[in-house]
Amino acid sequence: MNVTLWGVRGSIPCPGPTTVRYGGNTLCLELRYGAANRLVIVDAGSGIRPLGVQLMKTDFPKGPIDAKILFSHTHWDHIMGFPFFTPVFLPTSKLEIFGPVTFEEDTLDKVIGGQMQYRYFPVTMAELAAQMTYHRLQETVLNFDDGLVVKTKYLNHPITCLGYRFEHEGKVIVTMFDHEPFRNLFATDADDPNHDPEVFEEGERAAAEENARIDAFMAGADVVLHDAQYTQKEYLKGRKGWGHSSMEWAINSAVRSKVKKLVLIHHDPERTDDQIDELEKHYRTAIASRTPAGRRPLDFEFAREGMVL
Amino acid sequence: MKGEQLRRALEGYIDKMPPLPTSVGKVLEICQKPNAQPSDLNKVISLDPVLLARVMKLINSAYYGLTQEVTSLVRAIIMLGLNTVKNLALSTAVLGSLNTAHTKNAVLNLDGFWLHSLCVGVTAKHLARLRNVAAQDQETYFFCGLLHDIGKVPLNNRAPEDYLVALQASGDQRISLVQAEAATLEFTHTDAGALIINAWKLSEDIRDVVAYHHSPLDYQGSFRDLVFTVLVADYFANILEIGFSGNRFPTPPPAEVYRTLGLKWLQVEALEDQVRQEIERAKVFLKLT
Repeated sequence: MNVTLWGVRGSIPCPGPTTVRYGGNTLCLELRYGAANRLVIVDAGSGIRPLGVQLMKTDFPKGPIDAKILFSHTHWDHIMGFPFFTPVFLPTSKLEIFGPVTFEEDTLDKVIGGQMQYRYFPVTMAELAAQMTYHRLQETVLNFDDGLVVKTKYLNHPITCLGYRFEHEGKVIVTMFDHEPFRNLFATDADDPNHDPEVFEEGERAAAEENARIDAFMAGADVVLHDAQYTQKEYLKGRKGWGHSSMEWAINSAVRSKVKKLVLIHHDPERTDDQIDELEKHYRTAIASRTPAGRRPLDFEFAREGMVL
Repeated sequence: MKGEQLRRALEGYIDKMPPLPTSVGKVLEICQKPNAQPSDLNKVISLDPVLLARVMKLINSAYYGLTQEVTSLVRAIIMLGLNTVKNLALSTAVLGSLNTAHTKNAVLNLDGFWLHSLCVGVTAKHLARLRNVAAQDQETYFFCGLLHDIGKVPLNNRAPEDYLVALQASGDQRISLVQAEAATLEFTHTDAGALIINAWKLSEDIRDVVAYHHSPLDYQGSFRDLVFTVLVADYFANILEIGFSGNRFPTPPPAEVYRTLGLKWLQVEALEDQVRQEIERAKVFLKLT
């Protein structure tokens, strides 16, 4: 089982001279596994467009495209590439689509297809030729062909959002986007007129337990791709509740969960290549200085378009 | 309507049951604000038995497929997120603001009913505290107290004319309301409550409180302290006439209830000031004063 990254950016595509090395496309990940080289795609950000182009060259000549597409959630940066994914226009393509839907919203096909109306796009969902089936997901375990086990876990994001844990022949890859650590939403300042000690305590317990469940979900993984849109300083400066993690949180969480390799992903659109290089150096030093003697420091990298894991 | 026919009519009503009119305005006010505060949302939902039951229903429903049961509203808000809970509260509240027919016909004054429910919830929580129940379990006492009479809501809203007959019979014959319901409707608010608990898949402790708060000595289950506490709190609210449950001739709790709880009526009565203060705070929050 291996993974290729086709989009690593959060929020909005940001092509330009400062994002050449890490890439400007929004999230899309290609996972291949087994002898048959089966295809699973996670999220259809703008990165799915070049993936589609590639599939037409490599896979299509051998036979119809057969893929499973898993959506972490349906925010725009994770679905915007879908109408540009060439295989959706081919009647021979077989696409099984999975994802969570926020309570009381439309069904999954309508939520994703909502962007395909004439006012936004020249082709409607009904005009797509591929054979597509949709499945709304909850916290569950899925068994895909040839022994791929996919476990799902609710993450903390303004809409319902799932992390995926892929297990195949002893290798484990986990996606954790988009995710903000669970936190106590109830007045933590004792002087706040809304402070209620009982509610506060219950909030502390609930947040800690949910975070522990997240750690358990990532536990022992070979690779974890974790939302790390902000630095801790940025996160604390007015970005709480936006549904994203800090790099520091992702790193500490990976260390706690004994993850073998952490890949920081969902880069902020403002983050330049040079900044990412600097941040990488900074965290490498910080991690090394805090790793007890005799232990190997956490292996981590910032996600780059084209990276193979 | 009575018996089986009444049951069927209520079953159809339960899914679109609005919150109590007392809290609808505040729910709309809080949920329409773009920067709704979690603590406000928590408070307004905790103060309405219908809303509270609906949120707990949602988080424990097949929709989320969670493996462990969530019994606290605070946890539900942290797990589901503010937006989801806000949307749910809002859509439930809108049912109440659009469909006012049910309040016009209501025979039981719903403000009075709300006050009774709140009083029983608050009293049950204080009794739990008095008995040194662990802090994290005290909230369950509040929830169960708030929800114990929830079966009266569909009876009152969906079948007001029939319910009036039961209320009158209770007054004329000087019998408890539950006895009068059984005699005239062949269907009680504990039966109606059970319909809601089953339809909304609420937890077993609430189910038992709803089912047995008028027949404690028949209870054989494992939430004895909870059922008995709510029963005492219910009696307290009726005797002190805080709010109005429609039950003007409440049956005093049997001695065994006090024995089991290790409480004396005097201790219960002594809670009056604390309970009234807490209710006052809730009224200020809902802008009822």
